[in-house]
Amino acid sequence: MPPGTRTVAGLDEDALTMATDAVLACLGDADPADPGQFDALYFASTSSPYNEKQVASVIATAADLPREAAVADLGGSVRAGLGALRAALDGVRAGSHRTALVVAADARRVEPESELEPLVGDGALAVAVGRNDVVAELVATASISEEFTYVFRTDEQRYLQVAEPRFGATYGYARDMGEAVALALRRAELPPARVAKLALAAPDARSAGDAARRAGCEPGQLEPSLVTEAGLLGTAEPLVLLARSLETARPGDFLVTGAYGEGADVLVFRATDRLPAARPRPVAERLARGLPLPSYARYLRAQAVLPGESIGEPVTSMVEWKELKQNVRLYGSRCEACGLVQYPQARVCLGCRSQDRMVDHKLAKRGTVFTFTIDNLAPVPEHPLPMAVVDLDGGGRLYLQVTDAADGDVKVGAPVELTFRRLHEVGGNRYYFWKARPVEVR
Amino acid sequence: MKDRVAVIGIGCTKFGDRFERSYEELICDAAFEAYDDAGIDPAQIEAAYLGTYLPGSGGGKAAVSLADALRLYDRPITRVENYCATGTDAFRNGCLAIAAGTYDMVLVLGAEKLKDRGGRGIPRLGHPLLARGNTAPGLFALAANRYIHTFGLRRETLAKVAVKNHRNGALNPKAHLRMEVTEEQVLNAPIIAWPFGLFDCCPTTDGAAAAIICRADMAKRFPKAPVLVKGAGLAVTSGRPYFDPTFDYLGFRSTQAAAQQAYAMAGIAPSDIDFAEVHDCFTWTEISNIEDLGFCRKGEGGQLEEEGQTALDGRLPINPSGGLKSFGHPIGASGVRMVTECVVQLRGEAGKRQVKDPELGLAHNVGGPGAVSCVVVLGRG
Repeated sequence: MPPGTRTVAGLDEDALTMATDAVLACLGDADPADPGQFDALYFASTSSPYNEKQVASVIATAADLPREAAVADLGGSVRAGLGALRAALDGVRAGSHRTALVVAADARRVEPESELEPLVGDGALAVAVGRNDVVAELVATASISEEFTYVFRTDEQRYLQVAEPRFGATYGYARDMGEAVALALRRAELPPARVAKLALAAPDARSAGDAARRAGCEPGQLEPSLVTEAGLLGTAEPLVLLARSLETARPGDFLVTGAYGEGADVLVFRATDRLPAARPRPVAERLARGLPLPSYARYLRAQAVLPGESIGEPVTSMVEWKELKQNVRLYGSRCEACGLVQYPQARVCLGCRSQDRMVDHKLAKRGTVFTFTIDNLAPVPEHPLPMAVVDLDGGGRLYLQVTDAADGDVKVGAPVELTFRRLHEVGGNRYYFWKARPVEVR
Repeated sequence: MKDRVAVIGIGCTKFGDRFERSYEELICDAAFEAYDDAGIDPAQIEAAYLGTYLPGSGGGKAAVSLADALRLYDRPITRVENYCATGTDAFRNGCLAIAAGTYDMVLVLGAEKLKDRGGRGIPRLGHPLLARGNTAPGLFALAANRYIHTFGLRRETLAKVAVKNHRNGALNPKAHLRMEVTEEQVLNAPIIAWPFGLFDCCPTTDGAAAAIICRADMAKRFPKAPVLVKGAGLAVTSGRPYFDPTFDYLGFRSTQAAAQQAYAMAGIAPSDIDFAEVHDCFTWTEISNIEDLGFCRKGEGGQLEEEGQTALDGRLPINPSGGLKSFGHPIGASGVRMVTECVVQLRGEAGKRQVKDPELGLAHNVGGPGAVSCVVVLGRG
């Protein structure tokens, strides 16, 4: 195992928050997209923070999708990421959805100091699926499905389990993945040599090469594994590999992506002429934004292996419901009389005292630190806690916890963006809210 | 209300970690001392105002806490709660009742038992999601950091406020923290909420303070030299200053408004004040307060501190008692305690910390931060 880096979700992150972050980045990349145009959202994860609760609905609300959106949570195996993408593509092709969002996110727990620990990473990726102006079009799909005991976690197990790793990699992963790739290429009437990139998720650093050879391809056609840069990213991995292929693909290139889980799903895409003008933001840029964890103890705390202090009152369902637009969709009020944008939502204007002249105003998710503090007293699991008063672009002022900040990042005038995070946990439930994070790429 | 209400008796417990005293016992300590000081029988008290900020463990749930502690039954008692201005506002309400002619004699008592609650600092209040992560030092630090950004104030200047108030408090037998500190100690203390280190913050404290007030024309019947209420002001602004895009964070307009009300009522200018007990919950707060109270211009408070003008022997002694910084801050008690300090100083009973020959003293609280402020001006009778 060569030395490398693995990505670790922060203490205030989980599959839900990372998925929301990815969706917001997907909407915000290039031209900010109107979330109102999306009528479906698929969320895939094997490490959802809820065993029962529609997380896709939470993500759709935080991303301000319309209430009419169709949503689904998919899980079960890391194959769910591509399963979600295929379902969305099928939905669009069938005319069920106009445009859909697919997001895969995982922050899988592995036993501390186990062999798996350095291999698994945390990550999320969102894809917008539609009919028009696509950067890659679906050419063919193939699936293999058959019971095989390899990677699993029962409803009572906290950590990922792997049965017979070498046998599983060969007779489970490589055999099924090779067969699925070969089948997809036959359906696409595509000779293996015509494949520009094979973006195959894999359970380790080696086995994707085995699968490629079984399908008649060369290991050189593989998009390199992320294992030493980020770790194996679960449901998000095939999508991240595909995104990486799209960073350099040329129009007309065939890109094949595959994911495994008691069988395999493979999708064949062809890059379009539109790709060069609308490439995804480079994966390396995202990786470079990570902050080093200062200690193994911090890592264990982020994995919730070590307990952290979190004191606070629960948010009742009634308050949550009443304030949903304000707190989750993040709308303030704008006074029609004087124009002042204000938060939280109010009936009497803070600026001109006009009564009931307010209209809902969607707040921007970027802004500038007006003032701040770095607090060591707040009852939160990790100190210090930076807090910032943020003036949002386009109006409105918020007071937020700052997350993902390095020493010196939080200062008057610093640009920040908003990210949806876990705020606290109390009474057996988790509460999410917006935090600020410094935007400068380190 | 000017010159229509007199303070004829005061009482104040030792402030500190008073684990051996319950909330109701602290009330007794302060009240009994005030009864003695005024030379009255409790039966003469017609109404009472209790200032307590936090309900719950340790007492302070309502007016009944005062009634039961003192067996002061069958008369009007009102609990006042107004953030950190709770004590001064209880006093102000008592004064209004006398000035209105409703009662001749009123007990005002502030009491707080913070230490029996456990935990660190004071509990957070407010919306469970919005502004979550705020603490009292963190909220004032937001203002301090913007002020520092704007005026270039140095942490060394903040430290001088702590050094001065600890020096005053060391002279005060009832103060919570009776030790002097050096500028180096203050600067090197652990950071609580940047820019505030441990010694930039007032402690959490148990304590109670009481004042017996009566109609000014009755005051001469009682043994101590009366102190007259010259003016009082209270202003409430937004409790969510951090959401107000028009707020400059350089001071608190509640203090500015409350001070203007009090000065207008008293018919005085800020320059007429001889000493002031101001709300130094954090070192920066004192600097900003003396500006908001009109003792100097905005941005110049640090200079007053640097030049020693606010010291006990300075032009305008600020917090001769030791302030919240050294005397301690049992929230609901603090404002009444400030009134007792004004009375002690105006009577000339302050001993080693006596301000030279004062005519007018001022007590000021601000809480929220900045949401609510109460200012009381007292003068020699």
